[in-house]
Amino acid sequence: MNTILIILLFLLMIYIDKKRGVKLFLSLFFNFLILMILFYFIAIGLNPIVCSLVGCLAMSYIILFFVNGENLKTKTSFKSIIIVLMILALLIYIMTTLSRVAGFGYESFEEINMFSYDVKIDFTNIAISLVLISLIGATVDASIAISSALFEVYENNKKLSKKELFISGMNIGKDILCTSVNTLLFAFLADFMTLVIWYYKGHYSFLDIINSKTFASEFIRIMFSISGCLLVIPITSLMTTKAITNLKEKQK
Amino acid sequence: MKKIKLLIITILCLLSVIFIYNDDFIYNKEIMKINIIKTTKEDTMENTLGLKEKYYYRQITGVITNGKNKGQIKTVEYEEAYSSVVTDKYKVGDKVFIKNKTIDGLKRDFYISILISIFLILIYAVGEYKGLLSVLSVILNMIIFYIGLDLYFRGINLLFIVVIESIIFSILSLFIAGGINKKTISAIISVFICTITSLLMLLIIVKLTNYKGINFNELSFLTVPPEDIVLPELLIGMMGAVMDVAITISSSISELIDKDKNISVKNLNKSAKEIGKDIMSTMSNVLFFTYLAAGLPIFVLAIRNGYSISNYISTNFSLELSRFLVGSIGIIMAIPITTFISIKIFKEVK
Repeated sequence: MNTILIILLFLLMIYIDKKRGVKLFLSLFFNFLILMILFYFIAIGLNPIVCSLVGCLAMSYIILFFVNGENLKTKTSFKSIIIVLMILALLIYIMTTLSRVAGFGYESFEEINMFSYDVKIDFTNIAISLVLISLIGATVDASIAISSALFEVYENNKKLSKKELFISGMNIGKDILCTSVNTLLFAFLADFMTLVIWYYKGHYSFLDIINSKTFASEFIRIMFSISGCLLVIPITSLMTTKAITNLKEKQK
Repeated sequence: MKKIKLLIITILCLLSVIFIYNDDFIYNKEIMKINIIKTTKEDTMENTLGLKEKYYYRQITGVITNGKNKGQIKTVEYEEAYSSVVTDKYKVGDKVFIKNKTIDGLKRDFYISILISIFLILIYAVGEYKGLLSVLSVILNMIIFYIGLDLYFRGINLLFIVVIESIIFSILSLFIAGGINKKTISAIISVFICTITSLLMLLIIVKLTNYKGINFNELSFLTVPPEDIVLPELLIGMMGAVMDVAITISSSISELIDKDKNISVKNLNKSAKEIGKDIMSTMSNVLFFTYLAAGLPIFVLAIRNGYSISNYISTNFSLELSRFLVGSIGIIMAIPITTFISIKIFKEVK
């Protein structure tokens, strides 16, 4: 079934745009390979946080420079993404360690009961990588949208001051925010569906649900994915404004 | 003004976090605050691959903070594994639930409330009024989602519910985000048509392949047949992304018509395709990471148990993959559908 879906996706991508479609399909394929290598490195016991930071940067590199081309816009986005990842990695580290969401909750026991649990690898750090990898797509998306739009604004009106540019960056960000929140929310709701059915069947109360490990780990994943979008808005606006001012000075 | 409002929100959040930290009295389960953790015994176990796992037997002493035993000191036994696959690592100062003389999970509501507070402050700081509106639409959507599942347990077909819900979801989210106007109406119609088309496509594919190559392991714990859940789940997963594409394209088309009232349908189509190209790549990337990352913990467990990568991809990963694929197909189908509908609506009403 997945093979048919893959072929269908490829055909539809080509239908929208031949060159871009092939590029996009290839980039998804490469990212899938990187993701698998990244997963594998984590599984054999390399430090999950370092691995996922490097992997996330590699995958955003592919999205930005292979699909969107190497230019000032993508370079600025890439820099902003590095900053956002560093800030979020710290926050995620604190939150996941504090709320003890490593490993699996009762709800997943059936899914994993064919495995032995004696695996000698600390799942605390793996929980952190899980959140980091989940948020990178949405963060890159928001970042490139803002930097492209801001360069567009600058092209149309070269007289804008630093402050005006930053404010228009924030305004563009607000528009992206609503739609990104929706995309992420529904993707997670789909994940939640099985969980909610489980809670419903097990007669969980509201308090049981918010204290359960599976809920908490999913919730942390959603919240940080949206926070990635949120944080990247001011940071990309700031970085792009800086890049534009540098450009102006060079032209003088 | 914004600063004052931000300050008010921060104070409210802080107060509720403090309240939730001390809300032990609303729980029926016994809660204990850990004071002392002693390790009584250490043990090593080996799995079939020869990986040595350390086990620690802890004696945990603390004060009961709620119920009729409030204030009493209690000691429980807890077995903790190094990997924390199914156990947790508790520390002094943690509040935990007690059940049958052992620990039954951490009291996590405090951390959840911290997360919500940080999130609310951040979303107001960046998105202001609009940010809070999107939180409102999220909450409303969650309620509808829950009502839908409730109806399912009363015996209504879940697929039917999801199709109806897709209309309500898009009306709610798009009206809240963009107000009632031609742009949002054309987006809502497009979302509906897109949902129906994707559903038909999925039904045909399922009929042809009979879920061949999809492994329902992840859904195995449910007492309901997995086939009932899979299609609705796939549809819900793409809803958000399809809405996003629909509103972006219909706004840009209305913008183009506003700028040049005599623009030809051919030119409109061309520009819409240009915009579609950009969204297609970014949106499919968002779904790619959101879905595929979810497979990491089981991947690690499988590899550590001697499974090969290809084995893993074909069993545990197949469902995540099809979620991503269906979502991306939905996004791309939304591009021509929305273009067609918007042009019809804007050109005809004129």
